[in-house]
Amino acid sequence: MGRAVAVIGFGQTKHGRREDVNYQELVYEAVKAALEDAGISPGDIEAIIYGSMPSAMEGINAAHLYLSDAMAAFGKPLMRVATCGSTGMSVAHSAFYHVASGSFDIVMAVGSEKMFENDPQGTMETVADPWFQRAFISGAPGVFTMQGNQYSHRYNLPEDRVREAAARISVNHHDNALDNPYAHIRVKITIEDVLKSRIIAYPTRLMDVCPSSDGAAALIFASEEKAKNFPKKPAWVKGLCYCGDEHFFGDSDKVVWESAIIPAERAYKMAGIQNPRKELDVAEIYNPFTYQELIFYECFGFCDRGEACKLVEEGVVLRGGELPCDPSGGVLCTNPIGATGLIRVGEAALQVTGRAGDRQIPGAKMALSHAMGGVDQFNGIMILGSEL
Amino acid sequence: MAKEKPKILEGSISLPYRWAIGPVFTRFFEELKDKKIMGTKCSKCNRVLVPARKFCPRCFEETTEWVQVSDKGTIRTWSLITFEFSGQPMPPPYIVGLIDLDGADVAFSHFIGGIDLSDIEKVKDRVRIGMRVEAKWRDERRGNIHDIEYFKPV
Amino acid sequence: MASKVAIVAVAQIKHDDCLGENIREISYEVSKDILNQVGMKREELGTIISSSSDFWEGISCSNSVYYEAIGANLKDSSKAAEDGASGFVYAVMRIMSGHFDNALVHAVTKSSEIPSLSALTNLYADPFFQRPVCLEDISTAAMQAMLYMNKYKITEEQAAKVVVKNLGNALNNPYAHKRGKIGVEEVLKSDVMAYPIKALDVATYSDGICAMLLASEERAKKMTDNPVWVKGMSWGVDHQFLGDRDLLNGKLKGVAKKAYDMAGITRPVEEIDAAEICEPYSFQELLWYEQLGFCGDGEGGKLIDSGTTAMGGRLPVNPSGGVLAHNPYVARGLIRIAEAALQVMGKAEKRQVPDVKTALAHSTHGFAGQHHSVIILGK
Repeated sequence: MGRAVAVIGFGQTKHGRREDVNYQELVYEAVKAALEDAGISPGDIEAIIYGSMPSAMEGINAAHLYLSDAMAAFGKPLMRVATCGSTGMSVAHSAFYHVASGSFDIVMAVGSEKMFENDPQGTMETVADPWFQRAFISGAPGVFTMQGNQYSHRYNLPEDRVREAAARISVNHHDNALDNPYAHIRVKITIEDVLKSRIIAYPTRLMDVCPSSDGAAALIFASEEKAKNFPKKPAWVKGLCYCGDEHFFGDSDKVVWESAIIPAERAYKMAGIQNPRKELDVAEIYNPFTYQELIFYECFGFCDRGEACKLVEEGVVLRGGELPCDPSGGVLCTNPIGATGLIRVGEAALQVTGRAGDRQIPGAKMALSHAMGGVDQFNGIMILGSEL
Repeated sequence: MAKEKPKILEGSISLPYRWAIGPVFTRFFEELKDKKIMGTKCSKCNRVLVPARKFCPRCFEETTEWVQVSDKGTIRTWSLITFEFSGQPMPPPYIVGLIDLDGADVAFSHFIGGIDLSDIEKVKDRVRIGMRVEAKWRDERRGNIHDIEYFKPV
Repeated sequence: MASKVAIVAVAQIKHDDCLGENIREISYEVSKDILNQVGMKREELGTIISSSSDFWEGISCSNSVYYEAIGANLKDSSKAAEDGASGFVYAVMRIMSGHFDNALVHAVTKSSEIPSLSALTNLYADPFFQRPVCLEDISTAAMQAMLYMNKYKITEEQAAKVVVKNLGNALNNPYAHKRGKIGVEEVLKSDVMAYPIKALDVATYSDGICAMLLASEERAKKMTDNPVWVKGMSWGVDHQFLGDRDLLNGKLKGVAKKAYDMAGITRPVEEIDAAEICEPYSFQELLWYEQLGFCGDGEGGKLIDSGTTAMGGRLPVNPSGGVLAHNPYVARGLIRIAEAALQVMGKAEKRQVPDVKTALAHSTHGFAGQHHSVIILGK
């Protein structure tokens, strides 16, 4: 696989409604935290990779230029990588390649979003091409609900059963977020609460859906040589892969979703994982919608096709189960989109190095992190492990 | 079937924004109401940065020492703008400039005005790099960059 | 460089041919051209990196709209936004890592579809200080030009010579947008837009698209007997507030030095045979000469006067006509690299500089050159 690369530092802001800071200051907060976590100074960072949602989200074109000072990028190599929701993962991948190529030894990946400064669904609309889909797509709720409905129908799953599994996921993740001081939504809810919450796009209800958050995250990657000299345990990148499919929503099957299946298979192969359910200790899955998470369990090989509800019913993927998902609370509780994918990688890094505090899964050594983007188009995966 | 000439689809994107200003820039703008231009000093490199900042972009440390700088300064560079574009905040002609305010170590961008803009030759006569200018404050100040209407020749 | 990467094929589409087509179609055409050139099937593509701009295209997450058009369906592809040169260096790093042995790089801009360069670049500026005072691409370049003229007595005539040279060179470039034999007088007489910048000092809005195939050393040698090796590459960014920056001595010097060191170049004018640099404003070509080490500080005007950078001179700059002749904002950086590669390959047809062994490509984006990239290519 070439040069080994590790995560040696992770910083994130307190996510939520952050009108107390402007966008530059928000990013500064995460970057400062990452530098402190790694115990290095800004001068040690050799290159920076930045990503966020499309420019329309904050109304700033080429935001990497606007935020350059906040990322300590003055005089340094900087590039902007942006792939919609999967941006945070694409940024992490770019950082990996900066180091794996031998071009740099220590680089920083930064992702951010300030969603309270705009109408996020208004921006989501503009992702769809103007000639055919823009008039219909109806933002994220429209797309992901259509996908969820397809899934239930494909496997003849009774609406109630899927409904309940989704609600269980929601309760589990909201509970997890109570152990995560950085999470945006930290409330105790019950299955009843989820089932009774307001309908957004039938059958998706308010508590099936992620919030819009302000937040930023920064992750520091280092080469094997440098990582070994760091005081804290590094989290090694064991495997990574990314995949996208066609732009038109109707062109590909989004249930047996190749663009999610392929990166998982390839990342597992790189990491030497043959039985993900057994060999992964924790997974930080990109889950803005509860229904969609069921599809990801299947695409990532945690169970057979059509069996995702069972994983939830048997508690396999819940806290305390065999493969707990999103101990951080996941995207469902915190979603500053440009940072969200990066936060998944950071949380995975914390887990395998035993630094996840109250949300630590005991003994975690191998973690999967994932991000999804576009109009159900992109998926990226990075697997981190405690050993080289 | 006759071959159609490819067409153009017209459209526009219009989205509302509400940008958080942050406490440091907020204080900067509040002080403008009192006709004060504030900077912050970096304790590492000793530079005074205007507008006041939360952190120094070179040292990457928080800059918490507030320093008032003069509302007079020297033109570092300028340009007379005579072309139009959609969404332009101010209709042309106008002059933009970078002004080194007395007491600041970086330049501040604003309009240069109080000058006859009708003819570039007249402007070139009147506006020069290195020229002294001072802020023309608006009578009614609201706590934004337009509280200074422009910088005029001293 | 730790491991060798080569450019094995390049492709562009003429500005005129882009106008009536949508972004997906031209992306398909240019990518198919590359596959045909090297006799490769789409399945054999390793990775694909694309550059485009959401605001330029009016499509958020712009690479999503043409993802499969550049052969990326079910492949590992990413986007380095806003500058084609960023996409290039990212693709090079992907190959250097050993994870992929080939990469398709793609960059596209359809400037014919935008409201204006100024409207979009006004949005580069922060909303609180610089945007309300109308800072955008042209006015910031004009302030830089003003400083430049004032400090070193560079003249408008010297800047105009850049326009004359580049539009003249573009007569040999079938892909360019603007070309023609014009005189210094014509440039000087054109309407003042943002003093001292006049209409003919400013690059036009163009549609443009470029693709190239990169390969690892082993793969490249199997694909072509004329590989163009990446000898050095570097990029860097300046401050966000215009007033924080030294507009005459920004980050380009340091970026160029790093690329030169990687390529073992110490005397650029002697050791580089052709240069494709990004000059959206005539004055900037002169300033970039200095920052690239083609001459000393303040001597950019003298350099163009000397004829060194003309076709037939010691170091021809922009044999393609550069950005003044063809300005698809995001794609222009990759086009500079493609043109430099064609020079090394000996395939630049009428715009070929004789005996090119080493070529330099430069890209910039952001106000007054906030971000620069330099790539050195050679045999």
